[in-house]
Order: sequence, then structure tokens, then C-alpha cells
Amino acid sequence: MSVAVAPARLVDHFEAGLDAPICLTWELTYACNLACVHCLSSSGRRDPRELSTEECKSIIDELQRMQVFYVNIGGGEPTVRRDFWEVLDYATAHDVGVKFSTNGSRITPAIAERLAAADYVDVQISLDGASAEVNDRVRGAGSYATAIRAMERMHASGFRGFKVSVVMTRENVSQLDAFKAIADRFEAQLRITRLRPSGRGADVWAELHPTQQQQGELYQWLLAHGEGVLTGDSLFHLSAYGQSLPGLNLCGAGRVVCLIDPVGDVYACPFAIHDAFLAGNVRAPGGFAKVWRESELFTQLRRPQSPGVCGSCTHYDSCRGGCMAAKFFTGLPLDGPDPECVLGHGEHALAVRHGSTLPRPQADHSRRRPPDRACDEDPVTVFLRVSAPSRAS
Amino acid sequence: MHEPITEPAVEDPAVESVADLEDGPAESAADLEPPVEESLVEQDLLVEDVSIDGMCGVY
Amino acid sequence: MTVTPHAVEAFDLDAAWALAPQVAIRPEPFGALAYHFGTRRLSFLKTPTLRSLVESLAAYPSGRAACLAVGIASEELPQYARSLSVLAGTSMIIRRETP
Repeated sequence: MSVAVAPARLVDHFEAGLDAPICLTWELTYACNLACVHCLSSSGRRDPRELSTEECKSIIDELQRMQVFYVNIGGGEPTVRRDFWEVLDYATAHDVGVKFSTNGSRITPAIAERLAAADYVDVQISLDGASAEVNDRVRGAGSYATAIRAMERMHASGFRGFKVSVVMTRENVSQLDAFKAIADRFEAQLRITRLRPSGRGADVWAELHPTQQQQGELYQWLLAHGEGVLTGDSLFHLSAYGQSLPGLNLCGAGRVVCLIDPVGDVYACPFAIHDAFLAGNVRAPGGFAKVWRESELFTQLRRPQSPGVCGSCTHYDSCRGGCMAAKFFTGLPLDGPDPECVLGHGEHALAVRHGSTLPRPQADHSRRRPPDRACDEDPVTVFLRVSAPSRAS
Repeated sequence: MHEPITEPAVEDPAVESVADLEDGPAESAADLEPPVEESLVEQDLLVEDVSIDGMCGVY
Repeated sequence: MTVTPHAVEAFDLDAAWALAPQVAIRPEPFGALAYHFGTRRLSFLKTPTLRSLVESLAAYPSGRAACLAVGIASEELPQYARSLSVLAGTSMIIRRETP
């Protein structure tokens, strides 16, 4: 019987890259009213070179032409931009769905109602502890209350299925059931994601990343209770434990996803904000499309990657060598084990690493002083802080 | 009123193993385990679902 | 190859079908990506023929006619019918009234 041939697996097509991203992260601003210790974008102060409203709309026009199905708008705190709602409405009016990530500080009851009535807008509220005690140690005093209040308002407005997104740390792995309960309470969807040593995360990764034992617990919890729980495919390195977790189990950076940052720089992914993963800038001739399709970095990422020393490991097919950003910022070679390799190869590699200083992002938008809780004005960059070398993890 | 949009968290991981599944010998329908049947069906399916949240690199 | 009914529901090829209004089809070299803006569901259509088929559904009085129009051979019909059934199950395609 002749049948149409179903060709290569989906992941094979995706690894080679597509003509347009499927979705992407767009950080609208480096300004933020919080100062989370692990912020992947080292946010706090607005960069004066931020894209204008018109430039944002031009990007949306491009994304529409390229049929990028949705963008995750983040930051910093995207809602502190005065034109946030204008940009949001423009996107959804031009065939670009939006999920925006927020700490919840600007979700008033009126805003929640507006969101509930909007088409093609999803909302993701960040929470890193199922209690104020755990959460606020990472995200700052009062941030737990702010997030919960936002969730209450979203629920009260009738919005169902918004996302509660958690970064898993040594301090909150024990709270997985409690996180699920919070999401259930507000008829929201729980999302648990990986902590990476990116941005300010580099400074706290050694103490905050889950232990090997906790990684195992997290994996088991996902198998047992993870139906309906999202991960953003960010935990695919855990697939080496055995049964693959749901998701493509694929590094999408530069292949099906990427980051557009507040000044128009295009990076392979939001966890890789560093010149080594900078593909170009949307302000250059040809805009975003040209960067996506022709940049040297993305062309390189779309070539078959060498597994390197991981090639001899029977689990390589599951974990694909893990996360390149995690390896890069812990000073490990990209063709070797992930620092959190579930077999322990990463720990070993870190222990024997001969170290000079670890890579740091060139720009740090962190505020020099802790945020004033009462102040929710946009912080303005005065000057950029030059980062000191990090201690070895 | 906002329609509930709970994202499909992801499809059964068994779908991921479809490409590796070899065709088994022909058996009567009554003998086949449903999951094996589903895999046989899915192997020639020309549609594969992917979670929009299932691509690493979007936070 | 036979397919047991409980794995994939029988698909009515003789009914009129159409792409659901909130679905976007993005052509790819391997076929297409199909995204439903309402359900946020993403599907991978693995052959260009399947892409042509779903895009053509609305123009024909029946699914069968659309299959023939895009060059699907009769022995391939069951396989495409199964794929259409999956797409119907995920609301990517919908029944439509024929005039």
C-alpha cells in the first residue's frame, strides 16, 4: 500500500532552524521596580537606548509578516513602560499573540478586567516561593503579597488559565505541592522553570541551584503530578533520568526561538545575554528578519552540533548535552556536560575547571541601591555599573 | 468573559518515541494493547502536536 | 493497514470542512505549522500535501473532493482521513454548512 511518507521527526526540522521563529521572548525594558537576586537580564535601570514606540510597532509588523505566532513580552517589568498597553494592543491587532510576564505590581482590578476581556493576551505572574518567607528572599520584601494580590484580581476578573511561573531553587523545591495549590486556587496554570546562571543569576547560582537530590525529586514530582504543569521545556536536561519529560527536549535558541532585548539586540535566548550569543540588532538594515535568517551566530547554531565528550554517553539522546547558557556562564565548554548533568558529569567538570574569571554580560542594568518599595517610577540609567569578576562556583 | 485558555501542557511523551517504534507483526485487534495501537496509528499520522510552551528558550 | 476506531475517530470525508477561523497556517519546507490563536495549540503538518489539503477544504463541497483536488491517491485517503480526524479533534478544522 502506498502511503505518504512521514519524514524526519519534528525535532530534526527544528534543530536545523526555521525561516522564522515559532515564538520568541521580547524584553521591552530593562527598567524594573524589583531587584530579584537571580534576574536573568540584570534588570533595574532603563537603558536610554530603548526602542521607541514606533520601533516596537515596526518589529511587530515584521513579526506579523514572518508569522511569529506569539511573543512572551518580558523585561525588566514590561508594564512600567508607559506605552506597554499600546504595544500590547498593536501586537494582538496584528496577528501576534502575546503572553506577558509580570511581577504583578501593575495589575489593578481595572487592568485585570481589561485583560480578561482581551483576545490573544495571556498573562504570566512570577512567583519564586509558595510563602512570603521563601519568595521574598529572592524577589524582595512585599513581592509575594504583590503577586498574590495580582492573582486574586486576575481570578476575580474572570481570567482563567493565566500562568504562575516559578524558577526552581534549592529553597523552593520542597514547595512544589504548595505551588500547585496556589495555581489551583486561582484556576491558573503552574509553570516551573530552570534557574540558570545568567545575569544576576551568576552571583547566586552556586547557592541557589537545586542539589542533585532535589533535581531527582523535581523530576519525580513532574512524572507524578506534572500533568497540566508547564515547564517551557526548560528542564529537558532531566530527561536523562529516564522517561522524557513533555516538550521538544531541544535547545530552541537561534533555531525556533530567540530574544529581542530592549535596545533591539537579538540574542539566541534570554538566558544568553552576552556578546557570545549576540546575533545582531533589529535597527540594522534588514531588521529582525535579516538577523534571524542570515546572522552568523544563528547559522552556526543551526548546523549539527557536536556532542563532544557527551557523545559517548548513552543518555545524550535524551538530554542533548543540556543548556548552552548554563554551560557558558559556569565556564564549562559547550561541547561537554551541563553543570547540572543528572549523572554528575557536570559537577565533576566544575570541580576540575581551571578557572580564570567567568563570563559576565557586558552591560549590567542593575540598580546600585535596593529599590524603594514606595516608588514605582521608572528608574533611569545614570551610568552602567562595570561588573567585578565573579567568584568561581 | 475570558474563555479559559489552559495551554495543553504537552502531549503524551509516547508520541516522542514514535520515530523509534518499529512495526510489529500483524496481530488481531483484540490482542493489541491500546497504547501500542495508538503508536502504530500515530506513526503514520501526518500531524504532530507540539505545545507552544514546549520550546526551550522562552521564559 | 487497518486502524481501530478507538484510536482515531472515524472521519466523515463526505462532509464539508474548513480551517477554523482562528487558525493560521505557516508554510514550511516540510509542510506547515498550524497555530490556533484561541486554544494556543500548535500542530505540525508533516507534508506539503496535507498543508494544501487543509487550505483547500473550504473551497470544496466535501473533504473527499478536496483530497482529490490536491492529488491524494485513493490508497492514501485513509491516512489523510486520519490526519484530518486528528485536526478536527483539536478544533483546527471544523464542519461547515454546505450551501
